[in-house]
Amino acid sequence: MRSAGRLHRAGPVLRFVAPKVLQALFVVWATYTVTFLLIHALPGDPVLAALAVRAGDAATTDPEVLDALRAQYGLDGSILHQYVSHFLALFRGDLGVSMATGYDVSDMVARALPKTVAVAALALVLGFVGALAFTIAAYLARPQWLRGAISQIPPLGIAIPAFLTGVVLISVFAFQLGWFPASGADGFASTVLPAITLSLPTGAIFYQVFSAAVFEAGEAGFVRTARAKGLSQPVVIGRHILRNAVLPAITIIGLQIGYLAGGTAVVETVFSRDGIGRITVDAVLARDINVVTGVVMVVAVIYAVTTMIVDLLYGVLDPRIRTRVAAKPRTRSHAATPAGGDDA
Amino acid sequence: MRRLLNPVTLLSALVLVVTLIAVIWPGLLAPYDPFDSVGDARLEAPSAAHLFGTDALARDVFSRVVYGARLSLLAAVLATTAGAVLGGLVGLISGTAGGRVDFAIMRVIDVMLAIPGILLALIVVASLGFGAVSIAIGVGLGATGSFARVMRAQVMRIRNEEYIEAARTMGLRRPTILFRHVMPNASQPIVAMASTELALAILAVSALSFLGFGAQPPTPEWGSLVSDGRQFIATAPWLSIMPGSVILVVVLAVNGLARNLGGNR
Repeated sequence: MRSAGRLHRAGPVLRFVAPKVLQALFVVWATYTVTFLLIHALPGDPVLAALAVRAGDAATTDPEVLDALRAQYGLDGSILHQYVSHFLALFRGDLGVSMATGYDVSDMVARALPKTVAVAALALVLGFVGALAFTIAAYLARPQWLRGAISQIPPLGIAIPAFLTGVVLISVFAFQLGWFPASGADGFASTVLPAITLSLPTGAIFYQVFSAAVFEAGEAGFVRTARAKGLSQPVVIGRHILRNAVLPAITIIGLQIGYLAGGTAVVETVFSRDGIGRITVDAVLARDINVVTGVVMVVAVIYAVTTMIVDLLYGVLDPRIRTRVAAKPRTRSHAATPAGGDDA
Repeated sequence: MRRLLNPVTLLSALVLVVTLIAVIWPGLLAPYDPFDSVGDARLEAPSAAHLFGTDALARDVFSRVVYGARLSLLAAVLATTAGAVLGGLVGLISGTAGGRVDFAIMRVIDVMLAIPGILLALIVVASLGFGAVSIAIGVGLGATGSFARVMRAQVMRIRNEEYIEAARTMGLRRPTILFRHVMPNASQPIVAMASTELALAILAVSALSFLGFGAQPPTPEWGSLVSDGRQFIATAPWLSIMPGSVILVVVLAVNGLARNLGGNR
């Protein structure tokens, strides 16, 4: 009886967590499958393509050598065999061998990841803070035209090409003012300009969510109540409006990771930084399919795990979801009682 | 009528007309040959004679930008069209079939939406090779997911309309209903979406060409022009900033008109 009670208590948590874990696994598997299908459905032999880039017309066409290379890069055997064995290798952290450099793809990614994460994390923070500032400014702006003007600015963050932002920042802040280095990945100063570049689209997406939530909350009854109670403007904004705006922003972190992962390719090229993006660009230039697949899988895993954590956190942060989860088993056990009786 | 007189709309339309001229008759706008040097004026700053300055080979950058419009924009249009047609078809099948087929298709679409578009494009370029066409295919594939979603939602909405039921009771065959009645009614949101996607496609295509996956030199392309200028950024920043700004202006113009199209919904 006692253990059943404990199980019952573990039930709601497990029932809340298990689907999210399964969903994360599904995203990783499905991304792998889509990538695999794409590579094998498109015409061209990846090994031949990589060799042609490396050696030009002098590339070998000796079938024995090609077979040996295929085995070395894990591109031998039947399609089904490759599909299954590469997927299982993922769980051992084995992403195969680079066709261009001969290094382990996992090692290459592991070495580059911290530099990319440093920029991406700073970009997320800058985008978040910037979007918040614009949201509050737009909310407080009284004349309608001023509010309209302010809310026109953040969407520009998506329209401006990242290489243009990067080039302008380098020419002003690195060459004219000399405040930050123009390239490289040494220390915090080198992350600032790339992070600002990446933060523009990130901030634009955050702003969309913030402004929608804030203007909705601004009209809500609880805000009118708070005002009627005589609370000051900063308190109303900070305690009542922003809280409602920040929560939905968390849910789009997954989307942001997608944007950041795509953006790093351009940003790391503009700023000549080592990182995941640079690795990917070099791999595409060398037609190194193993590295491209490896990077896509690492991004997919990061995306899936972050989305899962956000989903779980949401349950902790938003009491409405927590109580809904806690309430579920009670209604279910009511429904289950007569059925259980029938079984007996 | 008021919408048409909106200054943003007018300005956007003007920019796009000029861009269209650059695509069709670049010779009308470009004062110089995009491939030939104009004397020995290397890395000159913008002036009345050379609006965007000259590059390291003393070529007129403005003329190169004008001639670059064709490849850059055709790739973006091709990408958007491919995405709209493929996505529209998938959405149509998904929405009409319903049940398990619909479920399976939509899970695949979910995954395609989860993979960042640019990574999807990079996979395609790495497999297919470089050039404007493979960039367009890659970017188009990235846009397919969103088109499929919108199309499916439209089909779901229209499926239950009375005129569809009327067509069915009249004994029309299923393909006829699909292409005569469902498609035309579902197409307007797709067109509105295509105009927004076009702006994103211009950005994605120019980003990929900036990374060096597009046309090989000396063919001008907007993204590669920015990338060519990057090595002179300390002494001649306009080489990158001018072509980059042209991309921004065109993207804003497409967005400006797209918002109008979207407003019809």
